[in-house]
Amino acid sequence: MVVGFALVAAWEIVTAAGVVAFRRPIYNALSLVANMLGLAVLFLMLNAQFLFAAQVIVYAGAVMVLFVFIIALMNPESDVTLPPRGNEWIYGGVFGVIFAALLVSLLFNRGLTGRPGTLTPEAIAAVGNVQTVGIALYTKFLFPVEVTSLLLLIAAVGAVYLAMRRIR
Amino acid sequence: MPVPAYTFLLLSGVLFTMGAVGFLVRRNPLVVFMCIELMLNAVNLAFVAISRYLNSLDGVVFAFLVITVAAAEVVVGIAIIVQVYRAGRPMDVDDLDLMKE
Repeated sequence: MVVGFALVAAWEIVTAAGVVAFRRPIYNALSLVANMLGLAVLFLMLNAQFLFAAQVIVYAGAVMVLFVFIIALMNPESDVTLPPRGNEWIYGGVFGVIFAALLVSLLFNRGLTGRPGTLTPEAIAAVGNVQTVGIALYTKFLFPVEVTSLLLLIAAVGAVYLAMRRIR
Repeated sequence: MPVPAYTFLLLSGVLFTMGAVGFLVRRNPLVVFMCIELMLNAVNLAFVAISRYLNSLDGVVFAFLVITVAAAEVVVGIAIIVQVYRAGRPMDVDDLDLMKE
């Protein structure tokens, strides 16, 4: 378990570095696909099988197909021809170190507080993971789910409108 | 031996920081978008890890909603990027400052 986690964590960090650092957008996109698949494995290790499937289908599947499709349609070399500015990576690195130090100090100062709930892995396994998530989605979280469906509808209409319109 | 919760949260923080640095440094709008996806994924990992270690499903449901909203966000964002590309503007977020004035 620990060895598997270390392997997946290393994979996640390497592919995330690929997303940030590669010069050609298609390599960034493929690194992001690898990153999302590794994250799906982490969801599986955290006993969230439903989210594993959603991550693979929605993120690594649909969203990344959209990205790769757009990169293939547009000029894939456009980022390579951008003149480098030089010191942007230095500023970015300094920001990253400070930000990560803040996050880690916050984590170790506060710890994991909060009252544990009743849905232990055994209780979830007795009913089934997808069943328990589905019950939570359609009882306790019914209103957020409905609002999200409305948001998806608005996003679809907006995307079609933007695709039809000609701007200059 | 199970993995302690804070290692998942540490990994989530590292991934979020990398996404934030990429968001600030990169200039291709598509790559900036991918860095936003990286940050959203890192937050999802934190949600699911806390949900697992507090024996609750609220974090899983929240991560599911985040995935949905992120998919909608990508659709609209990419439509805007394609419009900018079709208008013949350079693919550099530093040059897209029409809304600044």
